[in-house]
Amino acid sequence: MTSADASHRWIRLIEPACTSCMICARECPTWCINIDSHTESIDGLPPGARDRTQHVLDRFAIDWSLCMYCGICIEECPFDALEWVTEPTHPAPTSDALVEEMVPALSTELA
Amino acid sequence: MDWRAAVEALKADGFDYFDWLGCVDEIGRQDCLRVVLVVRNLSQRAEPRMLSCSLSRADPRIDTISGVFAGASWHEREAAELFGVEFIGGERRRLLLNPEFEGTPLRKDEVLGARTGVNWPGAKEPGEADFTPGRRRLVPPGVPDPAVWGDRDVSQPSPDPIEISESSVGGRARRRRT
Repeated sequence: MTSADASHRWIRLIEPACTSCMICARECPTWCINIDSHTESIDGLPPGARDRTQHVLDRFAIDWSLCMYCGICIEECPFDALEWVTEPTHPAPTSDALVEEMVPALSTELA
Repeated sequence: MDWRAAVEALKADGFDYFDWLGCVDEIGRQDCLRVVLVVRNLSQRAEPRMLSCSLSRADPRIDTISGVFAGASWHEREAAELFGVEFIGGERRRLLLNPEFEGTPLRKDEVLGARTGVNWPGAKEPGEADFTPGRRRLVPPGVPDPAVWGDRDVSQPSPDPIEISESSVGGRARRRRT
């Protein structure tokens, strides 16, 4: 085993697959996943159809200072929207900087 | 047969390798703490033997077996501080916790107090970006419904330990059953 294999890995959000169901945030033993979402009505329904809504993900953040890389969120996700990535997590100078925003729209808005 | 005599009998029978000793809080199924011991017979490749003993949760006391297996003393000290079991005649020093620590952290009716003061990220529902108060919420594992513990009516009797222990799995906040 090389040192690269031995190091813990990164967890990535596959954003299109996420339905903001909150299951990962509830299962996380260290409370490191923060999700914000809102509800939007679906346009373009056939005439006469009743209104339908969907959840839209606004924010998905993992706090790497809390995460213990147990992988429970990956196991529990019913939509396979989380996966292991082989690179290690990024180093950061402060613990606040270890909160990683995984929805790009929001992270650019903030920057 | 008493606990110590049962362990001695197993040891005399060839099960002279002490594997482990632990404790289980059976609250919700039975009103007891269960002390469990596993010993092995290394020379005959026999299946390991498990012995267990139920103790009252209110006053759990059991004889020490550190005279039979010296190594059991560490396990007994651990069970003593995590579950509040008294091992009569055993080593009374703390093993893991601070001397000032009060409580029995592995009993299931022990509230995870540090979790009550923090917003749990899982309390939000899908489609929410904020913690809207005044809704029926999920409570995180280890924190009872505020109506049961924390925010309860102090004129009512103390909450039932069984009700507190049910919070160890989390779930939808419910009003207290009366």
